[in-house]
Amino acid sequence: MSQVIRAALFQTAWTGDKESMIQVHEQAARDAAAQGAHVLCFQELFYGPYFCQVQDKAFYEYAEQIPEGPIVRRFQALARELGIVLILPMYEEEQPGVLYNTAAVLDADGSYLGKYRKHHIPQVPGFWEKFYFRPGNSGWPVFDTAVGRIGVYICYDRHFPEGWRALGLAGAEIVFNPSATSRGLSRYLWQLEQPAAAVANEYFVGAINRVGVEDLGDNDFYGTSYFVDPEAQFVGEVASDKETELVVRDLDLAKLREVRDRWQFFRDRRPDAYGPLTAP
Amino acid sequence: MTTTSSSKAPYLPESVEPALSVRQVLGLERVLAGEPEVVAGAGHLDRPVRWVHVAEAADVGVMLSGGEMVLTTGVLLAGDDGRQAEYIQSLHRAEAAAVVLGLGRAFPAPPDVMRRAAERCGLPMVVLHRPFPFAELTEEVQSRLVRRKFAAVSLSETVRTALTGLITAGAPLQALLDEVAQHSACPVVVTNLAHRVLATAGERPAVDDVLRDWERIARQAGGNEGDGWIRAELGGRGERWGRIMLCGHRGDSATGRLLADRAAEALVLHRMLGGSAHTWEEQSAQGLLTDLVSEAVPARQLLPRARAAGLPVNRRTFVPLVVRGAPPDRLDRVLRLLGLPGLAAELADGVTAVLLSLARDQDADALTAHFATRLRAGPDAADPVAVAAAGPRTAWDDVPAGLREARHVADAVADSSAARDLPAVVRLKDVHLRGLIRLLRDDPHVQSFAERELDGLLCAAGDDLLSVLRTYLASGRNKSRTAQLHHVSRPALYRRLEAIQTRLGVDLDDFEQAASVHIALLAHDAQQG
Repeated sequence: MSQVIRAALFQTAWTGDKESMIQVHEQAARDAAAQGAHVLCFQELFYGPYFCQVQDKAFYEYAEQIPEGPIVRRFQALARELGIVLILPMYEEEQPGVLYNTAAVLDADGSYLGKYRKHHIPQVPGFWEKFYFRPGNSGWPVFDTAVGRIGVYICYDRHFPEGWRALGLAGAEIVFNPSATSRGLSRYLWQLEQPAAAVANEYFVGAINRVGVEDLGDNDFYGTSYFVDPEAQFVGEVASDKETELVVRDLDLAKLREVRDRWQFFRDRRPDAYGPLTAP
Repeated sequence: MTTTSSSKAPYLPESVEPALSVRQVLGLERVLAGEPEVVAGAGHLDRPVRWVHVAEAADVGVMLSGGEMVLTTGVLLAGDDGRQAEYIQSLHRAEAAAVVLGLGRAFPAPPDVMRRAAERCGLPMVVLHRPFPFAELTEEVQSRLVRRKFAAVSLSETVRTALTGLITAGAPLQALLDEVAQHSACPVVVTNLAHRVLATAGERPAVDDVLRDWERIARQAGGNEGDGWIRAELGGRGERWGRIMLCGHRGDSATGRLLADRAAEALVLHRMLGGSAHTWEEQSAQGLLTDLVSEAVPARQLLPRARAAGLPVNRRTFVPLVVRGAPPDRLDRVLRLLGLPGLAAELADGVTAVLLSLARDQDADALTAHFATRLRAGPDAADPVAVAAAGPRTAWDDVPAGLREARHVADAVADSSAARDLPAVVRLKDVHLRGLIRLLRDDPHVQSFAERELDGLLCAAGDDLLSVLRTYLASGRNKSRTAQLHHVSRPALYRRLEAIQTRLGVDLDDFEQAASVHIALLAHDAQQG
C-alpha cells in the first residue's frame, strides 16, 4: 500500500548574519509548507557560517541550549503554525564549555521530540571541529514523528557505517544527513556513501549540503542535496551545486517494505560475529 | 576480413578498421595456406593482436609489452621440456596475444608440453602444418595494423577539424552534436551530472527510443562499452559538469571511444569559449518550450524530451505561465528557491515561458500565486514583472494550448501594467476587452477603425498626447492618477486632454465616445505589439 510523505531539504549560502540566516530558513519552511511538505531538514549548523574553517572561540556564542534556547522556541512555533516536522541542526551548549554539534527534532505540532549529537568529530584543515564540539553522547535516537520514524546522522558521521546501521536497527525510515562539505575534499564520496547506506539499511536518506564560499576560508560548499531511496535511486533530481534550493520530493515509504521483503539484510546479519568491531 | 557493419557504409572510408583478433589473423588467406591448427587456448581467440613478432629467443617474454602474436619455429626449445614450459609461461606473463609454432625440423608434431602449458594459462597456441616464411605473415598483418592506426589518426583529424571549424564559426551546440552523430551513426546525448538531457542528435525515432527510458538507461550505462554505450566526461579546470554519450554505437569500441573523446574535447572548448549567451540548460529548455508553443512537433512526441530534461511528467498538473520583465535565470533561481519543478525559457525579448509541474494533490492556483508573489517581491526585481497564467492542465497534450493562452494574456497586458492594478497572476478573465482586441488585431476592419478613430494623434507630434490618452483611459478616466503618473500638474493635464479632444473631435466625458477611442487605442497598441 502506498504511503507517500512529502519531504523537504533546504540548502543555502551564508547570508552574513545570524538573524537574516534564521529568517531565510523560516521562509524556506513556509515555502515547503506551501507545497504541502510534511517534514523539512536544514543544513548542518544552519543559522551560522561554517565557522570550523577557523579556530576562534568567538564562535562559541553561536551555541545555545536545546530545547530551552530561543531558536528552538522560535521554530517550535513555526512548526506548529505550518504543521510540519522540522529538523534543526544547531550548535548546542549543554553548559558553558560543554558544546555539541546537534540536531533538534520538532514534531508537526511544535513539540520537541529530542536531539541527536554528532558522534564523529573531524579535525582536518578547513574542518577544525574538535575545537568546537565534544563527541556526541546521545546514542542513536530515532524519533517517532507525525510522518514516520526519523533518524539524524550529521556530516562527518556519514563516513562511519556503524551509525547508519544503528539507526536502521532502531527502526528509522528516513535518515537525514545535514552536512557542510567542500568540493575538493569529498565530491567523489557525496553520491556514494549515503546511497550505499540507504541500500545497506534499506531506508530513505536525505543528504543536505550548504552552498557557496564563505569569508572564513576557501571551502567551496557544493550543495547537490538529494533524497535517495532504499534502492539507491535518487528521488527526482539532485539540487544545484551553487544555488540556494529547496528540494521537495514525494517518498513512498511502501518502497522500504518492498525492498526489505526482497533483501533480508536485517535477518541475515551476524552480530554474534561482530565482536571485534566494538573492541576499543 | 573485418566486422564493420554495412549499415555504416556512408562513413566506412573514414572509420577505423577494428583491431585484428587472433581469430581474424588465422582467417587471412596467407595464413590459411599454412594450414593453421589451434591446439590450445581455443576459448581466447578473440584477443586483439597489437603486433606480430618473430622471436626464437628462449627468454622472449622480456622483449614483449603485451598484445603480440609471437611466431617461432621453436629451434631453441626442442628437446628441453623445462624450457618449453617456461617459454609459454613467459609469454603468458608478458600478456602475449598468442603463439604460432611452425612445425618442421625442430618440432615435426605439436609438442605436448607446450600445448599443456598453453592450455593451463589460456594462451592460444597455433601450429602451422605447412610453414611458410614468417616475413610474409608479418608483412601482411603489420600493414593491416598500420592501416588501422592510420585510419584512426585520419578519422580523429577529420572529426577534430570539422568540430573546430564549427566552433570557430560560432556554431551552436546542436551543430556540433549533429556532426558527431553523422560520424557515429547512433543517437548522441549530452547530459549534466544529474542525468538531465541537455541536447540530443541523431535520427529522431532512435533518439526518442533512447529518451523514452532515459532514467533507467542513464543509470545503467556505467561505462560498459561492449554494448556500444560509450560516454566521455565533460569538464575543465578540475571540475566535471556533464557527459556525452554515444547510445548504441555499432562500430568497434575504439572508434566509438575516439569519437566520444573528440566530441568531449570540442564540447568543452565550445562551452569555455562561451559560444552562446545562454547556458546549455537554457538552450535545452528553450528548444523544448518553443517546440511546444509552436506545435512544430506534436506535444505527445515531446514528452520523452520533457522527461529527459528533468521535468516530472507522470501524474502531474502542468501550469503554463508567461512572464514579462524577468529573465530566465532569475526565474530558475526562484523556482529552485521555492522547490518548484519547472522549466523556464525565453520565447522572445523579455518574454519568458515557464512550465510548472506540480503533484496532483497540490493547489495549483495557490502555488502559482506564491511563485508570482515571490518573483515580484525578490530583491533583484528591478523592472515590473507580469505573470500571466493559463489554467492548470492535467493532460500533457493540452499544454501547448495553455502556453499560447498564457502568452496571449501576457501580450494583452504588456503595455498597461503600470496604469492598471493587475493581480499578481493575470489570467484570461483579467484581460477582458484588451484580450479580445489582441485576438482581433490583424483584422482589416479593426485596423481601419483604429486608424480612423485616432487619426488626429497618429503623427510624430502626437506621441506624447497618445501616451496621456492611454493612461487616462486605462486608469478609468482618473485625472489625478493620470497627472501623477505623467508627473504633470492638474492644469497641465487639463490642457493636454483639451488638445486630445480637439484633435480627435470627441468628447471624452461622453462614455460611448470615450469607449470608442479606448477600443481604437487598444487595437492600435495590439497592432504595434
